[in-house]
Amino acid sequence: MTPPHSPSASSGRNDAVQTLDRHFPPEIRAAYERFMQTRVPADADTVVLAIMLDHMPEKDRRPSTPPADTLTLVADLGFDSVAIAEMVFFLEDLFEVRISNDEILRVRTVGDLRAFVRQKLDASPPANPPA
Amino acid sequence: MSRHAVVTGLGFITSIGNDRAAVTESLHTLRPGLERVEFLGNPSLAVKVAGTIKDFTVDSPSWRDWRYPARYTLPREALRSLPPHGLYAICAVEQALADSGLAAADLTDGGTGLYCASAGSAFLLHHHLAHMHAVRGERGNPMGVVASIAGTLNFNLAANYGIRGAVGGFAAACASSSHALGCALDDIRLGRQTRMLVVGAEEVNAETILPFAAMRALSTNPDPATASRPFDQQRDGFVGAGGAVCLILEEAESARKRGVPIYAEFAGWGQAADGFNVAVSHPDGAGLAEAIRRALADAGVKPAEIGYVNAHATSTPAGDRSEALALGAVFTKTGAHPQVSSTKGLTGHPLSMSGVMEAAFCALAIRDGFIPGNANLVSPDEACAGLSLPRSTVAAAPGIVLNNSSGFGGSNVCHVFKPTKA
Repeated sequence: MTPPHSPSASSGRNDAVQTLDRHFPPEIRAAYERFMQTRVPADADTVVLAIMLDHMPEKDRRPSTPPADTLTLVADLGFDSVAIAEMVFFLEDLFEVRISNDEILRVRTVGDLRAFVRQKLDASPPANPPA
Repeated sequence: MSRHAVVTGLGFITSIGNDRAAVTESLHTLRPGLERVEFLGNPSLAVKVAGTIKDFTVDSPSWRDWRYPARYTLPREALRSLPPHGLYAICAVEQALADSGLAAADLTDGGTGLYCASAGSAFLLHHHLAHMHAVRGERGNPMGVVASIAGTLNFNLAANYGIRGAVGGFAAACASSSHALGCALDDIRLGRQTRMLVVGAEEVNAETILPFAAMRALSTNPDPATASRPFDQQRDGFVGAGGAVCLILEEAESARKRGVPIYAEFAGWGQAADGFNVAVSHPDGAGLAEAIRRALADAGVKPAEIGYVNAHATSTPAGDRSEALALGAVFTKTGAHPQVSSTKGLTGHPLSMSGVMEAAFCALAIRDGFIPGNANLVSPDEACAGLSLPRSTVAAAPGIVLNNSSGFGGSNVCHVFKPTKA
């Protein structure tokens, strides 16, 4: 029996990339890899929406797929501030960007989130290609 | 004092079993829960045995990677802020609630409180701080603090179960959950709470256990069958363990009105510190002897009335000797001869959860009428002269039971449990 150790400590890949690899469907991983190579916005949309759905609290509300841009994260999808912070951290780690509190507060709907991430990624090309 | 407290529910995720039936069987047959381990993938480490938790895989910092028995269902909003030992804890609480005939909705009226004990998750704390350094502080997991610092158990369990009574955590190393249990008794006696959940939990990983090797406190015996041998002359240190135990303590009249089966009365407790050394117990067990006396006085019990002592003895040379001398001073020298055993020969030493775990074992012993034996005890230390140390489990009602715990800084805490009248 081998007791616990940190996988990320040995792999050099951050938690978000490892989580995407291990727990998201192949088409989402493929969209991420394509985006990091080609920067096609539609691929980022695919990844962001999958991450949003993954971070939704499992209380009662699951939107139709794809969720409408007009749905609000808190009132319609049941996000609490912790879930939003967790999702934002995941996006920061995955795309290697910084997102400020002011920026988070401006994101209220699914459409806001997609537009914000597109704009953020346009402004912040990755420093390194994906591992 | 007119209000009394009784034990109405137990839950176990331990090295010797993940439910009451398995734990009881192990205590009866002295089936140990220790296994060979290889910490940090390093075969040259001298420490090769631990009290492992079976049927759980929590060796990743991400809850998404964890595997646990299908009978437990946890939503992501519960999992996202848990440390590995928090998962154990929720599973133990679920068992205890079912055992006590309670639903989660019964915990939210303010009459129920929660006291917890764990060292926090050094594993997750290290992981999150390593990430912080890697990104030079520019971002971090928002759950990093509440999932890893000391207090993580009470944060998570109170939120998960909607508990609105007294909530807190105790940090006294290996006596922590014994403090939690004692203070829970006081809250019930004082009429502040009707019911208290007391939970202890720890992780079985290098980050929690291996630092004790630097103190030369861990056994380097590579044989799981003999590495943990409290009170034996050949003992060479403790075997680290983990898991979670939940004990539900309830005001006696409330429990009787619910008609729930009662394990035992928690009749009193006492604490006294050594005032001696940060890490080593008093050589004569002076603080522990005083804690025992205070617990007996609180319960209104004389030494001769104690039928069984669940000793703290962890299998360290110094600690076991101190405890044996303390027991000799309180019992042998006054003509009392209770049966004494340390169940850590089976379980290893789960640090801050050991107090509540062993209190739960005492409750089982009283309800089911048995006295756990001393696993792996062949040649008792000379300090044990005069103590009755059964080598195998005795099929006899223990009567009134004493449970001892000691922690760093010389914290000593003792509990007294009594059978309840039918």
